[in-house]
Amino acid sequence: MARSVTINPPKMCQPMGAILAYMGVHGCVPLVHGSQGCSTYPRYNIARHFRESAEVAVSSLAEDAAVYGGAKNLTEAIKNIKSRLNPAAIGICTTCMSETIGDDVKLIAKKALTDDSMKIFPASTPSYVGTHLTGYDNALRTLVETLAVKGEPNNKINIITGIINPGDIREIKNMLRLMNVQSIFLSDISETLDTPILSGGHKPVLPDGGTSLADIADSANSKGTIAICRTAGSAATYLRNKFNVPSVLDPVPIGVINTDRFVQNICKLSGASIPDDIIKERGRLIDSMVDVHHYMYGRKVAIFGDPDIVSAIVRFCAEAGMNPTVAMTATKHKDFAPDIKAVNSEYRTDTQILEGTDLYEFHEVVKTHGAELILGNSKGKDIADDESVPLVRFGFPVYDRVGVYRYSIMGYNGSIYLLDQMTNAILGHKYDPNKLHQ
Amino acid sequence: MTTILPECDIPIPQRQPHIVCHNPENIVLPMCNVQTVPGDMTERGCTFAGCRGVVGGPVKDAIQLVHGPIGCAYYTWGTRRNLSDTKLHRKYCFSTDLTEESVIYGGAKKLYNSIIESHELFPEGKAVFVYSTCVVGLIGDDTEAICKQASEKIGIPVIAFHCEGFRGVSQSLGHHIANRTLFEKVVGTAEPQESTPYDMCIVGEFNIDGDAWIVKPLFERMGVRVLSVFTGNASYNDIPPMHRAKLNIVQCQRSSTYIAKMIQDKYGVPYINVSLFGMKQTADALRDVGKFFHLEENAEKVIAEELAKYQPKIDNYRKKLDGKKCFIYQGAPRAWHWMGPMRELGIETILTATTFGHKDDYEKIMEKANPGHICIDNPNALEIEEYLVKLKPDFFIGGLKEKYLTYKLGIPFINGHSYEEGPYAGFEGFVNFARDIDVAVNSPVWKFINKPLEVS
Repeated sequence: MARSVTINPPKMCQPMGAILAYMGVHGCVPLVHGSQGCSTYPRYNIARHFRESAEVAVSSLAEDAAVYGGAKNLTEAIKNIKSRLNPAAIGICTTCMSETIGDDVKLIAKKALTDDSMKIFPASTPSYVGTHLTGYDNALRTLVETLAVKGEPNNKINIITGIINPGDIREIKNMLRLMNVQSIFLSDISETLDTPILSGGHKPVLPDGGTSLADIADSANSKGTIAICRTAGSAATYLRNKFNVPSVLDPVPIGVINTDRFVQNICKLSGASIPDDIIKERGRLIDSMVDVHHYMYGRKVAIFGDPDIVSAIVRFCAEAGMNPTVAMTATKHKDFAPDIKAVNSEYRTDTQILEGTDLYEFHEVVKTHGAELILGNSKGKDIADDESVPLVRFGFPVYDRVGVYRYSIMGYNGSIYLLDQMTNAILGHKYDPNKLHQ
Repeated sequence: MTTILPECDIPIPQRQPHIVCHNPENIVLPMCNVQTVPGDMTERGCTFAGCRGVVGGPVKDAIQLVHGPIGCAYYTWGTRRNLSDTKLHRKYCFSTDLTEESVIYGGAKKLYNSIIESHELFPEGKAVFVYSTCVVGLIGDDTEAICKQASEKIGIPVIAFHCEGFRGVSQSLGHHIANRTLFEKVVGTAEPQESTPYDMCIVGEFNIDGDAWIVKPLFERMGVRVLSVFTGNASYNDIPPMHRAKLNIVQCQRSSTYIAKMIQDKYGVPYINVSLFGMKQTADALRDVGKFFHLEENAEKVIAEELAKYQPKIDNYRKKLDGKKCFIYQGAPRAWHWMGPMRELGIETILTATTFGHKDDYEKIMEKANPGHICIDNPNALEIEEYLVKLKPDFFIGGLKEKYLTYKLGIPFINGHSYEEGPYAGFEGFVNFARDIDVAVNSPVWKFINKPLEVS
């Protein structure tokens, strides 16, 4: 991008991602070391996407911290959270402010802890480096660095999900259950950010669910780690280097081939075989693709979002016979362009690759390369409206439709759902009802 | 004891002076406008939020450029429901997207280029508003000089707002900074095209979900000419002639009294406080304005027309809502703006709280409160939960961040920040407000909370 100014960025800052990683840990309270906006804004986004309350603490840095440092605030914040909530852990993320004033968070946290009854994760997540995905990766690696410890082999597979929805996590768990494979999810928001209303309005202090500290500690003893979002892979690399846990950083299981790879990876690492139920799910996905190929062949689709998920969706669209015209991500990642180029060469498509740019540029390229359908989060609404095409929503945040976080677009089942969403959008937008009576 | 220490605050007794149980014999105001207790799960935001999000953000044809790392721009992109009849200010998000290199070497060049480029791409922008975030204050970019230089180049105003998030104790300082900046740099820089004896500005009205579109015509029907609305659905060009109003009325008296007072002090334009919520308060505001302009009869005519149209609807809702009890937690003024209107619906407000209220906000709350009313300054999530469980209000008017907590506890909720289906201001808006309360309280969905699954 040749511009200095960024216009309509589909990316957020590191603390946002770090908070999501911490929210997948059982009994963990995220603590932002920064100004009050640095916790309030991410909370707002979490609340409107998941339609859940998101409790995040903040050290409330002010002018005095800018001069004297933020140690006093951070120490007091840790003490107050412990005495009021007694959580299993506090997950700290730093901000542009605390990083610029140069607080040594690890040291401050160590001094603030008087006993071993609570863990502290001191992630460094400066907002001026990378994006929300960098923050997620940093926090997740900090979890593992802080807790993972060598012990007896546990016969489990670690799954690093990256920033995906509760519905996606549940679908992946479902696949592992069918394959009879035990797992540790690093981390797991499937319950903490999709909580039920309980009888009588009873509400636990901190949400049920999330990966336990014991399980994170045990991740050093697993048979292997699969990171389905490679942007979140540094914890996998750490576990491999430090504890010899084999790791696979592979595409997100969306579509036939990427989901096949996921299943094959599980089999290789765990020794499991492929059960009939998985074969049937795969067969239903192919059945669903065959059912709609007349509607979808050659359909131009433009996709934006986080790089791992976008490149997987590009491949799936190509598998379904569609024509992915533009693939855009704001977060740069080394695998993004090679992934898309591989699809281009296999399917003779000509997908334009936009990396590290913004939605203003995405829109300009969509205008020249065309799209009959746009895939992305709620920030794609205006572009879809301007181009008079439907928007199929995925990713984070989606706040202008309900329930997107509940459903999966991953695995064979989730891919069916995604394809149906795309097809129904096209049918609703393009088709004369007279052509849809059979 | 007038102040209270809730159970959740036992480990942080410094919260006690912030929580008051109202006793008319011995009126005590909650301690306010001070630093948050670190780690107390506050709901507060930052100074940048008050400046960019609340006051500057609604100006519809200004390019709203956030100078800082990407988050602050992203999080304020179309998030407040400050509607307008054009799209620039909510559809587009402009950021200098500062990275490590800028933090080390400064962001001046990036800011300058960003201003120039934004203007080239969006020539319809009448001005550029540049908001400084935390890191800009720390690295010390001279945004004032850069904005001046860029303004000379592009020939439109480029206004620097020094609203670094870490300044002050809450959003409140950001409001003040926005007021002062717009007063000092914009008000008085142009004269109105014409002047009439009936020129008035509506100050502190941000057109949340269309509020300004409801209240502005009420005054126009009286024969008042609304010179500017500060800043809901405002064009940049509406702000310079504000000093030529004959009267300013102030709706949001926390965020915007500053500019009304500055205009009064410098230009001698008087201002009056109004509450444009509920039937009585809105009628009172129209009467006060009518009295000032000697348009009393016109005011009475408009009030009579509006009451004839909307009072029967309010009376119907009152039948369904009479006797209910509610909590109101807002930024500040809407907590006391809405206590009176709730009584018009037969509803008693048993707890109020504000995020960034000052002494005058709490005085206004206590004037309206019944004995035993609980008032909390800068409440945190645990306090809110404790009081919801303890006092079990029939519904809670709060903001999005409290919404889903409240739902989990089985308590109906209304979003008072952006509204459910607004507008809520004026006579007509109050009918919407009452309808949304009725929907929240009387929906059958709550029946299932106390209906566990059992095998009989």
